[in-house]
Amino acid sequence: MIRFEGAAKRHPDGTVAVRGLDLDVPAGRTTVLVGPSGCGKTTILRMVNRMVVPTGGRVLLDGTDVAELPAAQLRRGIGYVIQQAGLFPHRRVIDNVATVPRLLGWDRKRARARAAELLELVGLPPETARRYPAQLSGGQQQRVGVARALAADPPVLLMDEPFSAVDPLVRAGLQEELLRLQAELGKTVLFVTHDIEEAVRLGDRVVVLREHGEIAQLADPHTLLTAPADAGVAAFLGRDRGLRGLGLRPAADVPLAKLEPAYEDWKLTLDQDGRPEHWLRDGRPHPVPVFAPARDTLRAALDAAVLAPSGHAVAVDADGRAIGTASRAAVVAALADEGAQVNHAGR
Amino acid sequence: MNWLDWLNTFFTDPAHRSGPDSILNRVLEHLAFSAEALALAVLLAVPLGLLIGYTGRGLFLVTALTGVARALPTLGLVTLAVLLAGVGDTAVLLPLTALAAPPLLVAAAEGVRGTDPDVRDAARGIGLTHPQTLFQVCVPSALPTLLAGARTAAVQVIATATVAAYVGLGGLGRYVIDGLATRDFPTTVGGALLVVLLAVAVQLLFALLIRSASPRAARTVHTDEPAGSPALSKDSI
Amino acid sequence: MLDGEPLVRWHWLGDHLGYLAGLTGDHAVIALVPVLIGLLLAVPLGLACTRFPRLYQPLAAVFNVVYALPSLAVFVVLIPYTGLATRETVMVPLTCYALAVLLPTTVDGLRAVPEPVRQAATAMGYGPWHRLAAVELPAAVPYLIAGLRVAAVSSISLAAVGALVGRGGLGYLFVDGFQRTFPTPILAGIVLVALLALVCDLLLVAARRLLAPWAAEVAR
Repeated sequence: MIRFEGAAKRHPDGTVAVRGLDLDVPAGRTTVLVGPSGCGKTTILRMVNRMVVPTGGRVLLDGTDVAELPAAQLRRGIGYVIQQAGLFPHRRVIDNVATVPRLLGWDRKRARARAAELLELVGLPPETARRYPAQLSGGQQQRVGVARALAADPPVLLMDEPFSAVDPLVRAGLQEELLRLQAELGKTVLFVTHDIEEAVRLGDRVVVLREHGEIAQLADPHTLLTAPADAGVAAFLGRDRGLRGLGLRPAADVPLAKLEPAYEDWKLTLDQDGRPEHWLRDGRPHPVPVFAPARDTLRAALDAAVLAPSGHAVAVDADGRAIGTASRAAVVAALADEGAQVNHAGR
Repeated sequence: MNWLDWLNTFFTDPAHRSGPDSILNRVLEHLAFSAEALALAVLLAVPLGLLIGYTGRGLFLVTALTGVARALPTLGLVTLAVLLAGVGDTAVLLPLTALAAPPLLVAAAEGVRGTDPDVRDAARGIGLTHPQTLFQVCVPSALPTLLAGARTAAVQVIATATVAAYVGLGGLGRYVIDGLATRDFPTTVGGALLVVLLAVAVQLLFALLIRSASPRAARTVHTDEPAGSPALSKDSI
Repeated sequence: MLDGEPLVRWHWLGDHLGYLAGLTGDHAVIALVPVLIGLLLAVPLGLACTRFPRLYQPLAAVFNVVYALPSLAVFVVLIPYTGLATRETVMVPLTCYALAVLLPTTVDGLRAVPEPVRQAATAMGYGPWHRLAAVELPAAVPYLIAGLRVAAVSSISLAAVGALVGRGGLGYLFVDGFQRTFPTPILAGIVLVALLALVCDLLLVAARRLLAPWAAEVAR
C-alpha cells in the first residue's frame, strides 16, 4: 500500500505544486488521479518513486518512508510508464524490456526469456522483439513501455498519462488490455490522467484533484458520476455524466419480455439458428439493434432501444441468438433502479 | 624579439604604408580576388542548386560533390592549376571557384528543399506558376540557409587565396609566403594576423546579413548555429 | 608552361613507392591524431555543455570563429611558440578545427536523447553516471561518428597546407612538384590525400555499423 501523509511540494521559486496530500492507495487495486493540467497529479505520482522529493510530509510504501530507501533500489521495485513510452532508441525491443531485470543482476538469457514472456503478455507478436523502438507504431511502443515496467514483476505500477499520445481507437485497445492485465496480475496501480472518461473506465477508485493537489472527491466511478461532491466536480465530469454513468451499470438490470409474434405494425424475423434478421413492416426489412445483457452496459441497452424502429431493443445471448426484448419504457424504468450494481469494467 | 616587436616592425615598415606592398593595397587585392571567385561560384552554383532543391532531383550528386570537394587539398589544386594553365590570376581563379561552389550548391538545394511543404502547396494552390513559386516563396525562405552557405564559401575562398600566394597570387598571403621564404617573421606574422582579422570581419558581415534576412521568430535559431553543424546533412548521420 | 613534360611520369611513381608511403603515414599522423585529441576533448566539453547549458553559446561562438580562420595564418601565428617545421605547429590548429566540428555534433548527440527517455532511465533506477554510460553516450554515437567523418576528411585535406610551414606530409609533394615544374608528384599527392580521406570515411562508416547498428536499421 502507498500512503501519502501530508506530502507537499513547494518549488524553489515559491510556487506550490502540492499543498499537503493525505491519501491511501490500496494494494492490488487501480487508483486513478484525475484533474486539470497543473493540479499537481504528476508531481504526486513522482513522489512515490522519488523523481520528486517532497518538501513536506512523507510517502510510505508498505509502511516504509520512501526517503529511507536508496533511490535506485526503490525505483527498480516500481514500474513506471510515461506518455511517450521513453524507450531506449539504441536497444532492441527485447533488451528494452529486459532492462530492469538486467539492472537487478539477472543473467542475459534469463532476462531475455522473461522479456519475451512479457511481450507476449502485452499482446505483441514475437517478431517485434528484434526491432528497434523507432520501427514500431505509437501504440506498440506504449505496449513495450508497459512490458518494460512489468519486467521485474514490481508490486507497484506508476502510470503517467500512458495512453494520451495515441489515437482514440488504439487508446481504447490499450485500456482494454490494461484492464485484462490488471485482472490477471492485481498490481497496486497509481494512474494519472486528465481524461475523466479514462479515469472512470480504468479506476477502482478515482481521485479528482483541484489546484495544488487538493482532493475534490475520492470515490468509486459510479458514485463519482451519480453523486459529485460539489459543482466544481460536476462541471469537471461534464454534461453527459448521467449517460456515462450508465456505461458503468450492467444491462442485466433490464427486465426482458418474451418474444412476441408481432409488435403493432412490426414483425421480428429470425434465421434458422434463432438470430435476429430483420424488423419487417409492410414487408420491408429494417435493421435490428441488439444488446447482450450478459456483457453489455445499460448504456448499450438504451442505445439499442432508441435506435430500434419498432421501439423494442432485442436482447441476445453470447452466440447472438435472440432471448427477449425490452421496450424503451422498460429500459427507462431500469435506469431509475437505484440498487444497480457497479461494473467498472464497462461490460 | 617578441610578438609586439614583430607587429611594430611590420606596421611601421614604410613599404607597408604605400605602394604595391602596402597593407591597404594587399587587403584590396585579397578582397577583390576573393569577391571575384565568390561571384563566379555564386553564378555557377546557386541557379543549379535552386533547381536541384526545387525538383528534388540530383540531391545525391550534391552530397557526393561536397564530400569530394572537402577531401581535395587546396594547395595541390592551386599548384596543379598553375602548372597546367600558367602563372597568372586566371589559373588560380579556377580552383578557388571550384572550392567555393559546393557549399553554395548544398545551401541553395537544402534551403529550397527546406521550404515548408504546406506553404509551397498553398502557393501552387492559389495559382502561382512553378517559377513564381520558386522565386517568390522558396527563394526568400531559403535565403538564410543560402547566406550561411555563402559565408562558408567566402571563408574558404579567403583561406585558399592566402595559400595561393605561394604560386604568385597577390593579397595578404604575399606577406606570409614572402616572410616565410626570407625568414622574416615580422612580415609573416603581421600578414597572418591581417588574414585572421579579415576572416573574422567577413564572418561578422555575414552574421549581420543572415540576421537581417531571417524572419524575426527564427533569428535565434539561425544566427547562432555553430559552423560545424551545417556541414552535417541529415543523411550523414 | 609544362614544356613537353607529361602530366604523369609513371616510372617516377614506381621509383618512389616507399617515399610516398612514408609521406602518407606522416600525413595520417599529422591529420588524424588531432582528430582523436579533438574527440577526447569534445566529449567532456560536450557533457559540460549539456550540464551547464549557458556554457554552450559562448563556446560555440568561439569555435565558430576559430573554424573560419585560414589554416595557413594560424600555422604561422603559432610558429613563435611551436617552432618552424614541427608537427605541433600543424597539429595544434588542426586539433582546434576538429574540436570546432566535434563539439556541436557531440552536444547535438547528447541532446538527441529525448527527455522522456532520460526520465524513464532514472525511474528504472539508473544513477546519473550509469545512465550516461548506458543511455546517453550510446545514443550519441551516430552523431559523434557523423562529426568525425567531417572532421577527419577536413583535417586530412587541411594538413597538406602545413607543407608551407615545413611540415605537411603529402603536402610536401605539392611544394616539390611546383618548384620543379613537375606535375607527377602533385597529382600523386592529390590522389593520395583523397584516398586517405576516403579510407578514413569508409572506416568510420564501418565503425557506425558496428557501434550503432540501430541507427542504420531504423533509417532503412
